[in-house]
Formats: sequence, structure tokens, C-alpha cells
Amino acid sequence: MLKLLQNEWMKLWSKKGTWIMASLVVVLILGMAGIVKWSDSLTGDEPDWKVSAKSELEMDKNSLEMDVLKGESKRHAEENVQILEYRLANNVAPLKDISREGMIYDPSVGSIALLLTVIVAAGIVATEFSQGTIKMLLTRPVKRWKIMTSKYLAILLFGVLLMIIGFVTTILSAFVFFPSGGGQALAISGGNVVDVSIWGHGLYMLLLSFVNVIITATFAFMIGSVFRSSGMAIGLSLFIYFSGNVIVVLLSRFEVVKYLLFTHMDVTMYESNFVINDDLTLPFSLAVLAVYLVAFLIVSYSVFTKRDITA
Amino acid sequence: MEPTPIVELKNLTKVIKGKKIIDDLSLQLYPGQITGFLGPNGAGKTTTIRMMVGLMKKSGGEVVIDGQTLSADFEKALSKVGVIVENPEMYKFMSGYKNLLHFARMQKGVTKERIDEVVKQVGMQNRIHEKVGTYSLGMRQRLGLAQALLHRPKFLILDEPTNGLDPAGIREFRDYLRLIAKTENVSVFVSSHMLSEIELMCDRIAVIQNGKLVDLRNMRETQEAHYYVEAFPADQTFQLLGTLGFKTESVNEGFVIQAEKTQIPELVKALATAGLELYAIQPHRKTLEDQFLELTGGGQLAETASK
Repeated sequence: MLKLLQNEWMKLWSKKGTWIMASLVVVLILGMAGIVKWSDSLTGDEPDWKVSAKSELEMDKNSLEMDVLKGESKRHAEENVQILEYRLANNVAPLKDISREGMIYDPSVGSIALLLTVIVAAGIVATEFSQGTIKMLLTRPVKRWKIMTSKYLAILLFGVLLMIIGFVTTILSAFVFFPSGGGQALAISGGNVVDVSIWGHGLYMLLLSFVNVIITATFAFMIGSVFRSSGMAIGLSLFIYFSGNVIVVLLSRFEVVKYLLFTHMDVTMYESNFVINDDLTLPFSLAVLAVYLVAFLIVSYSVFTKRDITA
Repeated sequence: MEPTPIVELKNLTKVIKGKKIIDDLSLQLYPGQITGFLGPNGAGKTTTIRMMVGLMKKSGGEVVIDGQTLSADFEKALSKVGVIVENPEMYKFMSGYKNLLHFARMQKGVTKERIDEVVKQVGMQNRIHEKVGTYSLGMRQRLGLAQALLHRPKFLILDEPTNGLDPAGIREFRDYLRLIAKTENVSVFVSSHMLSEIELMCDRIAVIQNGKLVDLRNMRETQEAHYYVEAFPADQTFQLLGTLGFKTESVNEGFVIQAEKTQIPELVKALATAGLELYAIQPHRKTLEDQFLELTGGGQLAETASK
């Protein structure tokens, strides 16, 4: 299996496109950092954090009193109140969004890595068909499910690599472009306010956004191996990635929305608190996603292993 | 002196959408022998070959390679087989060497030294590190052969291997196949509709039509005793041949007769005594093409010809 994976990895990196994609991650992240820094220099000085903290505290308290919140949103509001009160009482400033720490605290690597991993996942089976190499590949003494597994592992590995490249670039650009902004990230743990490490949180965010990379790439992998067309696989995957939220909003009145793939794809929502439906929790989302993932893989594997190669 | 076959097709059947594409096909292939696989377009050659190498699933029957049943132990059975299915499509964006490395990793026990050895064998040392995309068709064909030989297969299966090769390339390819069949005792199975090609290359031919094996014969047998006789005047010659009891057939200026070598001197004497002017008498070899068309040309013939 290791040799098969080596093969897939060699084929992947023998294509120019792969190198372009990897460098695109670096270029895009540096570019975005540059744009953020530039637009930040145009805006004036930020107001004192205490002023905005006080108004935020008031808003959260109001909504809690009116009892309009439930589930995740309510929990989040309560925690926020506790944190803000702690900040004001102990004079602990929050992280600035646009600062060295802010960048590392919430790295925006996920969507770039997702798009590029989807491209690879869509093509890894489909191009074997379109180039006719599938005939060579499948006439070896290797069972088809093993070939499929090596390809899937190569996709995941590629995704991880892009995330790592992205995070390292983010860290470098954070140190090169942005001054330290001071402040301390806080969270609630066991009812108490605790300090949060920017590094730990940054990695956690990467992990959460990698969930979306896996699920979308697996979808692309499935479409690519069923329809043998990488264009279609890329198109459909990006369609569900971009239109997912719209569909969720349209269907939000119905119970079924809880079990839709789109609702759960972006699990970073549990950190940034834009949870679509208050009943949802991270474990529930992960469970739903796992079911979809297994279904995608079953379809991909069974179609690929049973197919007669006639082309 | 029938040796044990290296490959056996046992009642192989393929049904696609209710139609029998391959119908109860049985065939044995022996070490050191090159077997040609002939048939008109759509007869089922490619389907048969694809079932033998695992590209298509069989509907019934069995493929046994060196004692291993393909459906029971795919990996073991296929590890004895070298395959070129139509034009060998390699990864164009990689060098020839990386392509070989790729396929070597999918076999057990192919060392780097073995790769170098095969590269030398097919004479590609100079360009093996260039991208396959820059290769000519002939070079790709050689690379295709190289990948098929990496693991020293006992059985080599080729589907339309000479498609698109120039005459020099075809000849080289043919000589090479003959060589490895002889020196490494490899059994070779070649499908083609280039009849002259098969004729020059094969020891034995299997003819398939409408998914059924309609003929299987050794090439030696096909050169059975036929002689071409050209004498003047033609009609008298024909009469004489008839009275002498030869099976006669009119061809071009003369006649083709079925005769044993020992009968020829008698025949010459007879012709001379009859005062006929003898211009030529020579062994006549029916081309494979003639035989092939004879076999598969009329649908009726094809049905009665099965032994």
C-alpha cells in the first residue's frame, strides 16, 4: 500500500499544476495579508476596546433577559457575558483582529486548501480514464480497492500538506506584516474564564476547517470516479460548497435541514458562532458528516471496483 | 508431447445486456508458443482479452493462469502476466523511467537493476529520462513492451500491439516477441486484425467469430500440401489434372492443386508426355488472409467450420 501511495504521490507531483497549486497557497495568503494590512492603514485608530466591550455586554444581557435565545446561541451569549465582565473587571484586552496574534488565532487557510484539494480529488481517478492509463493501472496484480485507497490517501495527504503550507505562510506573514497587538484570548472552561493560547486555537481552527476539506474532497472524489469527468466533479463540488448556505437558509423552516450535508459542512461555525440552527452541536455535526463520508466512499469504491473498463 | 498449458480459458462467457458477446470460449495457451487471436471487428477479441486481464468481469466460465484462477486469486494470477492493451497509454507528464518505476512498484520483486536491464533490452537507454509526451509512437510502444516485461511474466498478452507502427517498427517488435518466446519460454497471445502480421509472427492461430471459437490450428498445418501449376494450354492442363485425380482450383494463369511432394515428379512427367508447355510448378501457400476470409467471410461457413 505504501508503494501505491508513493506512486500516486509521484504522479501528483510530476504534474506542473500541483506545483502551481502549492505556490498559489503561499501567494494567495501573502496577498491577502498585504491587502488586509493596506486596508487597515486606511482606517483610523480603533476605538478603546473597553467602549465596545461595554456595548457588546449590554446587547448580550438584553437578549438574554428577553429570553429569545436558545441552544448554542444562548450558551454562547452567556459565556460571552462572563468573559466580557472578566475583561472589564481585570482590564484584560481582547486580541485585535488585525494583529500578529489575531492572524494566528484564526488562520484563513481552509477555503484555499479546500478549493485546491477538490481539484486534485476530482481528477485523481477521472484523469486515469481520460488519458487511457486506467488500462495500464488496472492490469497489474493489485486489487482495485487498494488502488482506490491509495488515491484517497493521496488526496488527504495533499490536503494536509496544503493546510500546513498555508499555516506556515500565515505565521510568517503574521510576523513579517503585522505588529504584535497585545491582548489575550479568553474562553470558558468548566465555568471559569481561562486564557487561550493563540497557537492552540489556530491549530484547532485548522482542524475544524479540515473537516470541510475532507468532506468536499471526498464528494469530488466520488463524482470523479463515478462519472469519470473531473470537470463535472469540480463543478458540482464547488456548487455545493458555495450554494450550501443558501440552500440551508431556504430550507431552514423544515426539520430535514438538520440532516442535510450543507448544514454541517463548515464546522468552524461552532467557534465563530454563526450557527445556522440552534439545535446543532459539534458532535452531532461530525456524526452527520461521518455518515455522508461513508456513503460517498461506498459509492466511489463500489462503482470503481465493479466497473468494466471498455474505453 | 503436449506440455501443460500456462493459460486456460474454460467456457468463458460474457453477457452484456442480454446478449452473449463471448459464448462458451475455451482455449489453452502453451509456453514458448505465440498464439494469434483473429476475428472480424466486433467478434469479441478485445472483450476476451479484457476478461483475461481483469479489466472486465466475466459472466461465466473461468480464466486459469499458471494454476491460479483469476477470480479466486486475482493478484497471484495476474502477477504472471504482462499486458499491453492497445496503444500503451503511459503517463505523458512523467519520464519513461518514472513510468517504469510506477509499474514496477505494482509488482512484487522488481528491482532497480531489473528496470535498467529492461530499458537496455528495448534499447531506450538514451531517452528513458525524457518525458513520455515527447516520445514517438514507436518509442512508446517499446516502453509499453518494457513495462510488460518488468516482472518476467510467463504469459504476455497483447491487444492490437502493432497499431500505428511503421513497417520497421512492426518488424522489430515481431522479432523481439519471437526472441523472448524462445529464450524465456514465454507464452504470447496476440490479437490483431493485421493478418499478414499474425502470419509472420505466430505459431498458432485461434479464430473467433460472434463470440465463439471457430478455428484453432497450427501455422505449419496451414501450409499443407498445395502446389501451383502453370501450363499451356490451360484447358487441357485442367483436364489432365482432373484425370490424374488432383483437387484443382483455378488461380490467376494457372491452377492450385492439392498434392503430396512425392507426387510432383509423376505430375511433371505426365504433363510432359501430354505435350503441355510447363512454365511453373511450385509449392503454393494459401495466405492467412485467404483462409481467414474463407472461415469468416460467409456467415454460413463460419457456422459449419467449428470443429
